[in-house]
Amino acid sequence: MDATLKIWLVILVVGALNYFSRLSFIAFFARRTVPPLLARALRYVPVAMLTALIVPMLLPGPPLEVPFAPSPKMLAALVAGIVAWFTHSTLKTLVAGMAALWLLQALAARIG
Amino acid sequence: MLPACVGLVPFGLVCGVGAAAAGATIWGALGMSAIIFSGAAQIIAAQLLAVGAPIAVIVLTCFVAGLRFLMYSAAIAPYLRPLPPRWQQALAFLLTDQAFAAAIRRFDAGADPRAGGLHFLGAGFALWFFWQITNIVGYFTGNLVPASWSMEFAVPLCFVALIAPHFRNAPTIGAGVMAGVAVVVLDGLPMRLNLIAAGIVGIVTGTVLELAKDRWTRR
Repeated sequence: MDATLKIWLVILVVGALNYFSRLSFIAFFARRTVPPLLARALRYVPVAMLTALIVPMLLPGPPLEVPFAPSPKMLAALVAGIVAWFTHSTLKTLVAGMAALWLLQALAARIG
Repeated sequence: MLPACVGLVPFGLVCGVGAAAAGATIWGALGMSAIIFSGAAQIIAAQLLAVGAPIAVIVLTCFVAGLRFLMYSAAIAPYLRPLPPRWQQALAFLLTDQAFAAAIRRFDAGADPRAGGLHFLGAGFALWFFWQITNIVGYFTGNLVPASWSMEFAVPLCFVALIAPHFRNAPTIGAGVMAGVAVVVLDGLPMRLNLIAAGIVGIVTGTVLELAKDRWTRR
């Protein structure tokens, strides 16, 4: 399929689905409350999906080799996570994470 | 409002860079930021487009990541009920993590529906407009930065900033750990299906742990 057509199909379908999710309880199910079990499950969507998205970005590869030595990116992400946990600040997390990565990469290059 | 915008800058830039890397034209990139209007969904779509995943997989993965909007929608619905349907439909489109946080604070402070709705509309539109600018700048400047700077690392860092503060109780930690383990273990699945599978593993783990915790504390 043509690449541009594919991108636009993704934009329109994902855009529509996202809009329906946003509109769901405001319009379609306005008279209903969220079923308790669904409300619980939804609370774990961001943590589960975003962790699944983050982890592969920190590992060397592909292909993945298990077990793997801790990479500079993993350690830098850990530093960033600690900063985020304490500060709740995107900007501070980014600065700390990038600084940690550059430092660790420089160290790794020196050690060889 | 301003702090929310500052935090969006790197995230928006990264989304623009991702769209360029996925081979989108500037109009495609703008379509992603203007119509999808969700950083996580845009990153996922760009990544999966870049590895040539089928449309069905891209749509399904983005849909699961976007399920959190159901939660926001339900939380904000009671405040929007007095407003006319047209307002509700417009405000729903602008519902994002940041606009939600700003609007809930205003409504909780006891603003009347129209004033609260207006604030939501203003904040939501400002965020939407600002998001387009950061995405466009990212699209055009992404490949000006030398590869040795590892700027692609800003993507996971943006997500770490979003989720790390939530790691404060056992079910959430369990959900994160299990999703992280599952995405590595299931790496062999084709078309990056490990992403959505790991997401579901994490969601189920968190829910089950919370139910178990409830049962335990009730005894």
